[in-house]
Amino acid sequence: MNKKVKSMVKQTEFYVLCIIIAFAVIIQIRSGQFLTSNNLMDLVRSMIVPGIYAICALLSFVSTGADVSFPLIAALSAYVSVVLGNKWNLGVVPIFLIAILLGCLIGCINGFFIVKYRFNSLIVTLGTSSICSGILFGTFEAGRTELPEKLYTVSKVNIATVKNSATGLGSALPSTFVIMVALYVIAYLVLNYTMIGRSVYALGGDEVSAQRAGIAVEKVRFGVFVVNGGIAAIAGLCYAMMSYFYMPNEYAGAEMLVIAAVILGGTRMTGGVGTLRGCLLGTFLLTMVSNSLILFGISVYWEKVVIGAIIIVGTAISAIQARNAGNPFAGKKKKEA
Amino acid sequence: MAENMLCVKNIKKSFGGVHALKGVDLTIKKGETHCLAGENGCGKSTIIKVISGFYQPDEGTIEIDGKSYENLTTSDAIAAGIQVIYQDFSIFPNLTVMENLAFNQVLAEKKKFVNKKEFRKIAEEAVKKINFDVDLDARVESLPVADKQLIAISRALLHNAKLIIMDEPTTALTRKEVTRLFDIIAELKKEGMTVLFVSHKLDEVFEISDSITVLRSGENVHSCPIHEMTEEKFTYYMTGRNFDAIPQKEVPDFEGKEPMLKVQDLSAPGFENVSFELHGGEVLGIAGQLGSGRTELSLALYGMLKPYGGTIWIDGSEVKLNSVADAQKMGIALVPEDRLTEGLFLPQPIYKNIAVASMDSLAGKGGFLKESSELELSQGWVEDIGVATKDHTLPVMTLSGGNQQKVVLARCLATNPKVLILNGPTVGVDIGAKYDIHQLLRSLAGQGMAILVVSDDVAEVAALCDRAIIMKGGRVAGELDGADLNDENLYGATV
Repeated sequence: MNKKVKSMVKQTEFYVLCIIIAFAVIIQIRSGQFLTSNNLMDLVRSMIVPGIYAICALLSFVSTGADVSFPLIAALSAYVSVVLGNKWNLGVVPIFLIAILLGCLIGCINGFFIVKYRFNSLIVTLGTSSICSGILFGTFEAGRTELPEKLYTVSKVNIATVKNSATGLGSALPSTFVIMVALYVIAYLVLNYTMIGRSVYALGGDEVSAQRAGIAVEKVRFGVFVVNGGIAAIAGLCYAMMSYFYMPNEYAGAEMLVIAAVILGGTRMTGGVGTLRGCLLGTFLLTMVSNSLILFGISVYWEKVVIGAIIIVGTAISAIQARNAGNPFAGKKKKEA
Repeated sequence: MAENMLCVKNIKKSFGGVHALKGVDLTIKKGETHCLAGENGCGKSTIIKVISGFYQPDEGTIEIDGKSYENLTTSDAIAAGIQVIYQDFSIFPNLTVMENLAFNQVLAEKKKFVNKKEFRKIAEEAVKKINFDVDLDARVESLPVADKQLIAISRALLHNAKLIIMDEPTTALTRKEVTRLFDIIAELKKEGMTVLFVSHKLDEVFEISDSITVLRSGENVHSCPIHEMTEEKFTYYMTGRNFDAIPQKEVPDFEGKEPMLKVQDLSAPGFENVSFELHGGEVLGIAGQLGSGRTELSLALYGMLKPYGGTIWIDGSEVKLNSVADAQKMGIALVPEDRLTEGLFLPQPIYKNIAVASMDSLAGKGGFLKESSELELSQGWVEDIGVATKDHTLPVMTLSGGNQQKVVLARCLATNPKVLILNGPTVGVDIGAKYDIHQLLRSLAGQGMAILVVSDDVAEVAALCDRAIIMKGGRVAGELDGADLNDENLYGATV
């Protein structure tokens, strides 16, 4: 048991948890508003979409290939499915399926160039991002769009509502929360209890070893980008559902905060290391900071400074830990197969 | 029952126009430890890849345990009981020991799901085979190199291995770890395991193997039982050259002469109270194992590590070496321990690597560097030192280890140093180039340069130096010279 406690304390996740608790205590003391039911509910609500994006970022970093295209894949696939849903009066499931299919297709394009031509994934995904954005605003001239009726009905369903008796402010937990939880459960099971999931980690740890062990390295890497496309598309629709409208301008730019959250949660940019627990904690921390600084009466501009500082300090901690782990493969020259 | 575990005949393999293997034969009897020796680039790695099914040979036959294979694939080779332990061990640093041990087997069984209990059972079975005591839940990256190797070995034993191929297994190990590895190999041999041991280190080959095959530039040179092999033959077969032993010089008499480098009670993080004198024309060895303070001493003398006590004199005058620039100004040059990470700009051309330390003197008016003077300087050194290259505008990466080391040497020499410090001058360098480098160092000493050889290779120190200081645990533990300076005494003193 003692061994378990020791190894827990060594993990980055533990430090993130400590920072979260420290922040919570400070905010609670200063404003008395942190531990109110509506604030907590709002926090959870705000982290649904970044939380789903975080799975994309985790998968891509663990398998050694940064992916920055998820917000625009989300925007484009959500738009197409919403428009088609309006046109053909589709139900919720078909709308989601269309979005996922389109997301996976764009993911295929990412995967194709990254695997087949061994291009840098950051560059490729930047490229697809730009292309998606061009199609969305140029070809489709996308603007604020009403949701299809059936999707709108579901988006109005809340699974829980609370009211703060002191302030009279209420808050609700939307149905999309269920989607996030489901995705995390599936991702957890796949990453930890299937050979495919472990292969993603193995590949991130040492590509040549993975190849020798008989892992279909190229298929796994391709698969990661396809799955990422699908997950991003789901996040895109969730975002539209939570705002009751599809708003194309709201998507771009989400990747930076998400990537920061994932790195903060202990994911190594050099691959092979990262947990879903870390993703959730990192996302929670950054969401908490951006939501709660308002409670201090700190201006929105300063919020960015604080987030930036947390990112630098947080990444420094995990970088130092990685160095102390004596990772002999960090920054090492390429091996021959 | 076949007598031979492996019998390959007339294997040919080319890549593009390069003939890597020009008809290699290799026969390994059951239960023996066979050594495959040869210099870098002789085709050792290629033949291993052919045996393990990684490459298809262009020509030739492969017979494993009496069965011939037409198109040997990696899975055929594994099924036939062949396991390769690569130099990098083929492990996943980010996963736990348990996962590393069990992963390949579970994957080979084409299972889709992870059963932690099954993983643990496989892992426990694996470590039991060599009585390897390790925390199965530890992340592999946190373990020492030797343990990583043991993970690779115990994993290999899982697959009903009959022939284990070890590709230069001792490269990254300390002497103690090598002994442990050899014990394990001996143990495996008792159980009837056949081992193919790939190495170019003479002493290891004689210690561990029953028979030996030497390759040179893709061809068999010689195969024989180990007792028919001698040191001279071994060196000759490996390189195709005969080497005169470097004559042991008499200890020169420097009585009354001013030493070129004098160190008195020097202390820095890693070593304490080191004193010695080094004269022009002398080759002094600093022998010591990993952690003895030898590397730190070389860094302190090159201004990379700040001493907290003691004095250094160069040519009679006291100096403070606070930076590399100070040391260079005083005429000190250092050949670093790891030329790949500390010495060379691998993707850069050879001539730029040679000229980089002489930039100040090469710069023309206004501090601009003229490419032509770089080329001129480099050409001279490439010829003088004998860097084997067609064109010195090629990147340094294209050279073999020995020639890369010559480039580092050329760079140091181009600055006209008075004191040349070499930390591990021939690490990863093949025998031929090692001989060349030793000859060169002797002749530089003959011209009056003071040379300090820092090394853990006792054979090298004994062969090359006039005198040696032994370091142990950060202190000077003794000094040897003349006839006392031999492998045995040095080894005894450093351990």
